Amino acid sequence: MTVDRRFSCEESAPAEEVAAAALKLARRFAAGATMWCAAQWPAHGGHVAVEFVHPVIVGKRALPAVHVEGADVAAAVRLLARPGDVLVAVSAADDARVGDLLARSEAWGLTRLWLGAGPRPPSGRAEHVVWIEGVDPAFAARSGAVVLLYHLLWELTQVVFEHPGLLEPRPVPAGEGCITCSDEGRVGEVRAVDEGSRAEVLVSGVPETIDVSLVDPVGPGDLVLVHAGVALTALQHGPSAGPGESRP
Amino acid sequence: MSSEPTSFLYPFIEGDERDASSLVADLAASARAKMADSRALRVATLERCADSLARAAEAMADRFARGGRLFAFGNGGSATDAAGTVELFRSPPGGRSLPAISLADDRAVLTALANDIGIDVVFSRQLIAHARAGDIAVGFSTSGDSVNVLRAFEEAWRRQVLTIGLCGYEGGAMAASEAVEHCLVVRSDSVHRIQEAQDALMLRLWSTVQRCMDQGGTR
Repeated sequence: MTVDRRFSCEESAPAEEVAAAALKLARRFAAGATMWCAAQWPAHGGHVAVEFVHPVIVGKRALPAVHVEGADVAAAVRLLARPGDVLVAVSAADDARVGDLLARSEAWGLTRLWLGAGPRPPSGRAEHVVWIEGVDPAFAARSGAVVLLYHLLWELTQVVFEHPGLLEPRPVPAGEGCITCSDEGRVGEVRAVDEGSRAEVLVSGVPETIDVSLVDPVGPGDLVLVHAGVALTALQHGPSAGPGESRP
Repeated sequence: MSSEPTSFLYPFIEGDERDASSLVADLAASARAKMADSRALRVATLERCADSLARAAEAMADRFARGGRLFAFGNGGSATDAAGTVELFRSPPGGRSLPAISLADDRAVLTALANDIGIDVVFSRQLIAHARAGDIAVGFSTSGDSVNVLRAFEEAWRRQVLTIGLCGYEGGAMAASEAVEHCLVVRSDSVHRIQEAQDALMLRLWSTVQRCMDQGGTR
């Protein structure tokens, strides 16, 4: 009998990545965050949320998690989420809708956890990428491998709550720097453009007025890379999942 | 943590811990152990259930070939497993699309039945409306004891609908029910590990159905 590797249970999931993501998630919950769940496979989005809201183990803490689905997930999360909330995305790396949501979530000030399988996404798309590599994502989504990832995330997040001293925000160690004053560019989502070369953008959940004269004309919903009050590059045009964008 | 000789005076020192690195190492070790458990359980379950799974798949393929439809149901995480089953059969990663409906997805029907009659009938009453002889009922319950899932199986059985149950622990009432023709039990007492193994069972069931239908020369 030939063994089809797509059905293998021998995938290897990244223990350290799950552990770090769970610590971050627990800290965000402790600070009052809501967790927003979006998935390429809608059943997984619902499953992640119910794990946290209604734990299967009696006595574990119920935590605020919401599955968001529908025609325009990005519009819903933009409206509902507050800066400091968490986005948990479950998808393959090439899912266009999830990719768009992750990019915008940075501008909205959300902490992003990306769980998935298959070829690993490029770095920098999420604070925590928890990935099962070397598998076909369409099969991993059904084999128990992907559900294992968010089961582990839930189980370890509950463990962190048993260590209250570690739930407080981590002080930034000297030398690591602060993202808002380092010389990195940050993603901004354009809210409005005035007649001149000024635009109001949302960066890390905070509105800023910036100079957009260096980039091609931008409009509401566009994503731009912002540095020192100037848009350096247009990252993506159009409102979330607008016309012309590829949909999964 | 602390090497100070007075640390024994502070029995609640855990509440004051500030260094997360040892916790993260513990979490990663715990994750590795749980992954190993999950893998071992999935492999063992697929092996132990191989014969009953093959029979269930053959019966399902026969029903699909004759125009039968699949109805999937369950509560909570099992409701999402039912929805995932429907996604798998209707939008497969390969092979033919097969007709499947989740009975846990329609909020109007669910709340109407739960409010007017009770949660125990939310699936069985939908089967009364939809199911015909030759259809397929797939129910999930990690305990094997969910009353609404058991009642749906009884209704399905009366209507000559093929019944396939997935459950955990020792199988609970589902494994003992005469209304469940094919019962696939994941022998574990962890709801999470059970659900992971149920996913593996369902994927194998789906792929075997596809193969049976290919061999059967049907559409």
